[in-house]
Amino acid sequence: MSVAVDVGDRAASRRQGGASRSLRRSGDWARRVPLLPALIFTIVVTQLPFVATLVISFMNWNAYYPNERGFAGFANFRSVLTDVAMRDAIITTIELTVTVVAVSLLLGLVVALLLDRSFLGRGAVRTMMITPFLVVPVAAALLWKHALYNPEYGLLNGVLKGVWGLFGAAGSAPQPDWITQMPLLSVEIALIWQWTPFMMLILLAGLQSRPLDVIEAARIDGAGSWQIFRYMTFPHLRQYLELGALLGSIYIVQNFDYVFTITSGGLGTANLPYAIYQTFYQAHDYGRASAAGVVVVIGTILIATLALRTVSSLFREETSR
Amino acid sequence: MASVTFSKATRIYPSVPRPAVDALDLEIEDGEFLVLVGPSGCGKSTSLRMLAGLEEVDEGSILIGDRDVTNLKPKDRDIAMVFQNYALYPHMTVGDNMGFALKIAGNSKEEIGKRVAEAARILDLEQFLDRKPKALSGGQRQRVAMGRAIVRSPQVFLMDEPLSNLDAKLRVQTRTEIAALQRRLGVTTVYVTHDQVEAMTMGDRVAVLKDGILQQVDTPLRLYQQPVNVFVAAFIGSPGMNIGHFELDGEEAALGRARLRLSRATLDALREEGADRLVLGFRPEALEQVGADEPGAFPVQVSVIEELGSDAFLYGALTDIPGSSVDGSHIIARVDPSRPPAKGDVVHLRVRPGMQHIFSESTGRRLPD
Repeated sequence: MSVAVDVGDRAASRRQGGASRSLRRSGDWARRVPLLPALIFTIVVTQLPFVATLVISFMNWNAYYPNERGFAGFANFRSVLTDVAMRDAIITTIELTVTVVAVSLLLGLVVALLLDRSFLGRGAVRTMMITPFLVVPVAAALLWKHALYNPEYGLLNGVLKGVWGLFGAAGSAPQPDWITQMPLLSVEIALIWQWTPFMMLILLAGLQSRPLDVIEAARIDGAGSWQIFRYMTFPHLRQYLELGALLGSIYIVQNFDYVFTITSGGLGTANLPYAIYQTFYQAHDYGRASAAGVVVVIGTILIATLALRTVSSLFREETSR
Repeated sequence: MASVTFSKATRIYPSVPRPAVDALDLEIEDGEFLVLVGPSGCGKSTSLRMLAGLEEVDEGSILIGDRDVTNLKPKDRDIAMVFQNYALYPHMTVGDNMGFALKIAGNSKEEIGKRVAEAARILDLEQFLDRKPKALSGGQRQRVAMGRAIVRSPQVFLMDEPLSNLDAKLRVQTRTEIAALQRRLGVTTVYVTHDQVEAMTMGDRVAVLKDGILQQVDTPLRLYQQPVNVFVAAFIGSPGMNIGHFELDGEEAALGRARLRLSRATLDALREEGADRLVLGFRPEALEQVGADEPGAFPVQVSVIEELGSDAFLYGALTDIPGSSVDGSHIIARVDPSRPPAKGDVVHLRVRPGMQHIFSESTGRRLPD
């Protein structure tokens, strides 16, 4: 009896099939059309500037030489990659990104491991640990530059003076001019301060998704705390570390605020975004600035592709469990 | 290999008034397969985890062999555990999973390889040694978890519902495999399950727990035939025992038209207790179909007949008790599978003499037959 019902159902659904498909199609359009203005707006706002940049990057276009405007082929890219200042900017960018990402990942891992234990006031501590990431980058950079690094009234030198003062030698306390003596490091430290919470959040999420029974199994198998970290926690965190590193890299490659605010690109701290800014607004060489911009985008896309692959592998792991 | 002794072992969770495990006294002999069984929340898993060292012992002590392990870390107890979700190390191959404990213990590569290969041969896992757990089926994962335990040749195996994630058919097959493997290796095993069929088929002895308190430890057959209280009687057996609250009427227990003559010993025990009511249990196979005018026969309206081929079970309701309906006062009886009564029929049943279990209504304890 159930077979007969089944066949009847299938025939009915086949008959409905054609009608419902066209109905569905018109329904889809009814839903999509109101979205079109927003879609077009989004494309205009996000994609057109990029297309324009791409076109300009192949042009000889300098505001100081308006008569020489024209198609330049790969000349801009050649000059970006061979020009000493630009090459230095690329190297600075890599150095800045690698240092900031590596150190903030390491610090983030330490903080995440500490926050993974339960203790009184954990929620409050976690919130406080996150706050640096919530501060507007320009404001944070200004704070570091003036409130901390300033040799006259900055907190760092004030603390040095206070500590030396405890031993009655306030006058002989070292008073380094932080930004002048270690320009790139100053920028890096401020960036690390802001990015450690981000890494910590990602790693903490990773730590808390650790399957508890696996850890218990390892304990029964005789593993101590270090061995559990080495053989269980660390391999589990690997994807989260990759994700943190890649997302952090995407943002820090593009970082402009800190370099602009703290050093204004001086003393060998000009990274690519800052060099682009200089080429555009000071040299008014729109073609070369656009070419450098395209280089940054290509670099970012490379990193982003890796990042997306990591994220999707995380999801795969999650569903297969 | 060693015996295991729980001595007044107690686990109290903070903020929970009742102990999760309350003064558990249990002696498990060397090489024995003991099953801890009970409904969820009865403390069986907690007991096992106390033995594993994953759960603190608040009072009392636990011994493995002659060694007091109450305050030892899991790694110093020389035990191996199989978890409900297997807890395989996801980023390691099957071979590495099985060899992990040996590696931590500092064994040589050759030694580890040899022992892993041996365990893989026993469990038929040889062709999977290079795979990750992800690429295995549920049954294979279960075997890897077993392999990880046997590779270490520990003093005691602990198993926490290792079959509950398998489908029904595989569960029955794996059940016998584990039992056979344990007999072969002769390693003392403590096995936790909520499934009383598993408990009955696998265990040398079965310990029944309820609310953190040990109810009875005995061989499966004795648990079935001589349950010490109403809870054990109702918990063990499938389908379950019929349990009714009877009144004492002279020398007979009575419920509606159902009547059962009680022995002198039972009557004495009841008199001592001063009780005029008692709890009577009888298994489905203790009922027989008789004519309506047989003494002690009571009418039952059939609501469902379950035909399993080798057996047929009648689910019915007592019709002669006021307030009883087809929904209430269920009774289950095994009937002749060759000619089962039809649904809706009224049949007459009688408890076969000597096949009843008698319990005190006030304490729930078994009374002498």
